[in-house]
Formats: sequence, structure tokens, C-alpha cells
Amino acid sequence: MPSAPDVALDSSAEWWEIEPRQDGVFDRARELWRYRYLWWYFAADTLTSQFRRSKLGWVWLLFRVAGPVGLNAAVFGGVLGVESGGPPYFLFFLCGTTTWVLFERSLLFVTRSLERNRKLITKVYFPRLILPMSAIAPGLLYLLILLIVTVGTVLYYYRHEGLWYITFRPELFAAVGAIGLTLVFTVAVGLWTSVLQARYRDVRYGLRYTMPFWMYFTPIIYPVTAIPEKWRWLVALNPMAPIVELYKWGTLGHAHLTVPSLVTSLVLITITLISGMWFFNREEAASIDKL
Amino acid sequence: MKSLYVDGVSKRYWVPKAQKSAATESRLDRIRSFFSVPLARELLGAQEVWALKDISFDVDHGTVLGVIGGNGAGKTTLLKVISKVIAPTTGRIRGRGRVVSLLELGAGFDDEATARENIFMNAAINGIQRAVAVERFNDIIEFAEIQEFVDTPLQYFSSGMYLRLAFSVAINMQPSILLADEILAVGDMAFQERCLQRVRELAKETGLTVLFVSHDMEAVSRICDRVIWIKDGALHRAGESQDVVTEYQNATWELLTSTEKPEDKGSSHAGRYGEILEVKLLSADGREIGSPPRSEDVFVRIRFRTYRAKTRVRCAFDLFSKGVLVFRSAQPELMPVGPDMAYEAVAKIPANLLSETTYTISVGITLIRGEGEEHALVVNKALAFMVYRENSDEASGTLHRTGLIDPQLEWSMETKPYAIRA
Repeated sequence: MPSAPDVALDSSAEWWEIEPRQDGVFDRARELWRYRYLWWYFAADTLTSQFRRSKLGWVWLLFRVAGPVGLNAAVFGGVLGVESGGPPYFLFFLCGTTTWVLFERSLLFVTRSLERNRKLITKVYFPRLILPMSAIAPGLLYLLILLIVTVGTVLYYYRHEGLWYITFRPELFAAVGAIGLTLVFTVAVGLWTSVLQARYRDVRYGLRYTMPFWMYFTPIIYPVTAIPEKWRWLVALNPMAPIVELYKWGTLGHAHLTVPSLVTSLVLITITLISGMWFFNREEAASIDKL
Repeated sequence: MKSLYVDGVSKRYWVPKAQKSAATESRLDRIRSFFSVPLARELLGAQEVWALKDISFDVDHGTVLGVIGGNGAGKTTLLKVISKVIAPTTGRIRGRGRVVSLLELGAGFDDEATARENIFMNAAINGIQRAVAVERFNDIIEFAEIQEFVDTPLQYFSSGMYLRLAFSVAINMQPSILLADEILAVGDMAFQERCLQRVRELAKETGLTVLFVSHDMEAVSRICDRVIWIKDGALHRAGESQDVVTEYQNATWELLTSTEKPEDKGSSHAGRYGEILEVKLLSADGREIGSPPRSEDVFVRIRFRTYRAKTRVRCAFDLFSKGVLVFRSAQPELMPVGPDMAYEAVAKIPANLLSETTYTISVGITLIRGEGEEHALVVNKALAFMVYRENSDEASGTLHRTGLIDPQLEWSMETKPYAIRA
């Protein structure tokens, strides 16, 4: 017979309370920390679930990441002859698309995070916020692959043109910052979409079809300078545009980035995040009832 | 010392108004509902349903509290509120220590992951550090008896193995409060018995508090110290297990016989040749009885009428327990009956034969007219009752195993001059 579990009547056992009112932000944060092991579990689960029962898992992954990049670069840079206004188009496109891919891919996973784990959510308690937060893991993997491709491309151009397009400069921190902002923005939007997705499965389809439009409104395949001056303020309304530019500025040192647009983006991201937190908190209980 | 207070807890759900069924829905309706604004429909069409109504109770340390009630009474909702999965609409719950739930067995398990992965995941969900989980790992595997299948995905597990793993994981998560919902629904009897035994042990030795939801009244009255009966979302009764269970049994029995009797599925109580009028369980003095004591004779009385002449009948009944046919008993020979007459057949079930558990009885009458024309009248689940043991001190204290029947056999013992080797 195995030994009896620890004495349950532990005098240090904490009293807890459940009330209709939701916990405050600090309690939530403390709880998230207590459950931090779960982050890794769900991150690994989201990652591996993609490759379960697929023999060529990793090959697919490479293809899915690198394929569209190569194809888009070839179509827009090669066939249509879009001008980058500086560095080689492939590199220009690659740097433009990196944060975007991170955003787009992660958002789709974050959106499905609650729905995918609904069996768990409806049966066991853990802080739900862990789910959208850990669903960014596949996006991070995509990011890693893109970074490797970027390094390879830079090396390629150095060998053929003798030019380092990306060097170790302090500006690289701006690129890291751009990645950080992307993740925050992804989770912020995901707080809304994941809850809505749990209720209405339409959200994911809607997102699938709007993301390409969003991408074309973001200066990825074209430089901002290609937009007529009087319409450029529109770019500032898209929080992803300054992020993409920030990343390009950090890596290639070549971008059209204005302080007002970056500030607008930061404000929009903050608003999305705070409202998302509020919405997630308020609706999570209600939505789970409906799962 | 208390370990859990539940104070005025209610839960409201908004349920969409019943939609027209697909069959009666016209094509226009379907088109209309497709185009209607989803939110508006939900907000306007919803009606409130109170799944829990102002439930209050508290539980002492080391208590096994049975939670009983019909299907949909709110037992599972209550457990989910206590485990924090569902937020209550009103009220407050205060408890002490870690709550581990065993809601609908193996919920929270991932079928595609292996037993090992699931164990660690469950530990993480319960907020247990990996190092502690590693320590517990062998205990869990050992109690679940799945040593060879540690790295097998759960989808290849039998339901019994699944149950064993789920139970073993739950009790090894250092719970202070264990919420067990229908853990006896699957798995073999031997393991169920071990589970029950373990639950009792933990309650006694470590002060574990258990909320035990089950439909198995025999198990409830055996292992629970106290029982609460939830009816339509409200707390209907709370008290000593035996009292509440008996009362519940009687109420269920009345419900069964009043609503389900002849109209029950698969029944054909009336036919061309006759009709079963009534099936009752009676004590020796002719009183109708819902839960007979084990030590007394009990009688199954079948009242029926016949329509045709030249008919012979044979009455029989099947006794079931836990879905298993325990025995069938029939009149030894065909009895001639007359037309348009009422009859009463009585069968005696002797004392000290039945086990301390719940039984149902299905009644059948075979009517044979002339040479071979055979006709059957059947009432499925005509009776449901629970047999109890009067001096239950001995029974509830020591966990004895009960079979489907528990006959008092004749035993003898005497000394024999065999050589005893030293």
C-alpha cells in the first residue's frame, strides 16, 4: 500500500473564499505566479498538438513559415517589382513580415485557446488567463524560424555583395522591443477574441478572412513612403504599422517611423490590453457557462 | 473543526427559450433564424433558470458528506461552484486547503497524452510543483495498478484503468477537500471497493473532507457520515446518512411507481388477453413497504386481470441490482384462469437472502390461450427498493463487501482428530 498523502489537516492550510465578485488584479497576478508551471504545459501542448499524427511535422512547419515569405517576396519584389526604397526586397519583406507573422499566427492560436481546452475549463479550475498567454508559443517558434532565415539571408548578402545589411547596433534593442510589443498586442487582442470565440465559433473564421486585409493595410510588402503623404495618418490608426516599422528600423536601420505614430500605437495597445483584461475578467465566467 | 462553509449559494443560468424542433420548423423560420442577429436573439429569448437556490451547509474535518438527489437536481453544479469552475451568482463559500475534484471521472485528462504526461499536467493544474509530483509519481502508478502502461496514451486505456488513474491522481494531489462525482459509475467492483475504503481511510487518518456524489445509495449509506439531499437546486434534507438515504429511497420509490409504472419503456402491461393492474412490495403484515429490512420476509404482489376464457397464466419477476439480473422467479406451473376476472399472485422473498443494496423488479406474465397462442405482459422496473440491515453499526463501521445477494447459509464446525504438525 502506498504511503498516505500528506496530512490534509495541515494547520498552515490557507482559508480561501469564493464570492460572486471577481478577484482583483493583484490577486490574479499572484495566482498566475502560483500556477506558472501550467504555462509550460499549455505552451508545449499547443505546440505539439499541431504535429500529433503527422509524420513530417517539422518539415511542414518550415514550409508553412518560409513558403509564404519566399512566395510573397518573389511575387511582389520580382514579378510586380515593388520597390523597397533601400535594401534588397527579399530582406525588406522578411524584416517587415517577421513581427506580422508573429502577430497573425499567435493571434489565431490565442483566439482558439479557450475553446481548445474547453473540456478542461468546464471541469477543473486554474487561472484562465494562462491559456491565452501560453498560446503564443507556436508564434514564438515561427519567430525563431524567421530569425534563422534572416540571419541566413544576411550572411548570403554579405558573401555576394560584401555588405552587412544588419549589424550589431544599439538599434537592435528597438527590434527586440518591437517583438515584445507584438506579443503584448497579440495577447491584448486575444483577450477579446478568445472569449468571443468560446461563444461564437464564427470569430475564428472572421479573423482568418480579415487578417490578410489587415496585412495589406500594414506596410509590409510596400514601404510607408509608397503611400501618398496625405493618407499616411491612416497608418497611425493601425497599431501594427508602427511596430513593423520599428522592427525594420531596428534591424535594417531603414524605415519611416514617426514618434506620433509610435505613441498612437502604444496608446492603442494599452487601451486594447486594459479593456481586454476587463472584458476577459467579466466575461470568462459567463462564457464558460456557455461552452 | 469546520473545513468548508457554503453560505447561501445560488447559481443562475440564462437558457435560450426552447427553439422549435427541426421537424416543425418551417423553411422560412430557418432562414429567419439564420439571418437574425445572434446577440439579440440570445438576450431577448433567454429565460433564467436557477440551478442552485440558496444552498447553505458546512462540513467538519474528516467528514465524508454524501450528496444525493435526482438527475439534474444540481449536485454537479454545486461541486463545480465549490471547485471554483463556475462562479456563484450569490452567496459565499469559505474553505480551507487544496480542493481537488474528481468530477466526471478523468475530466481534465488529455486522451492523446500518456499517463505520465497526464499525471504531471494534473499536478500542475492543482498547483503542485514538479518536484513534489515526481516524488508522488510511483505512489500514483502503484495504486492505479498501471505500471506497464505509464507511457501509453490514455485513449488506449480501458474505462477501468482510466478510473483507477483518475482516482489515484486525485488522492495523491494532497487534497484537503476532495470532490468526488459519480466515481462509482465505472470500473470493477473490486477497485470501487478499494476506492471507497481509501476515501474512508483518508478521512479518518488525515482529516480529508470528502463530498461524495453518487446514485449508489448502498455506497452512500455505507461510507458517508452525513448526507445532504439536493432537490430542484435547493437543499431538501441534511442529516445522518441512514435517515436521509431512507427518506430519499422512499420518495424515489413513490415517484417510480406513480409515474413510471405501466408507461415505462419496453413495457406492455395491457394486452388482448389481460392487463397487469398493480405491482407492490409488501411486508408480512400486508403493509406496503419501500425499504424492507433484511431480516424479514418480503412479498411481491402482482394484481392482474384477464379478458379471455381458456387461458392459462404464469407470473414471473426478474430481480435486478446495479443493472445485473440477480435472479428470475416464476410460478412453477401454468394456472388456469377465467374470463374477466381479477387475480392476485404473491411471491415471498425469504428473509436473509437479499443484500444490503438497491434492487428493481420487472414483472412479466405469460398467458397461453388454447394450444399455443402465447402472449406476454411486461412491466419493466415495476418496483425499486432498498434493503437495509437494522443493526447497521457493525456494517457501517467495518467495510464489508456485499454481493448481489447475501444469503444466510448454514455453517457448521466441529473438531476433527487430524494430526497437527508442529
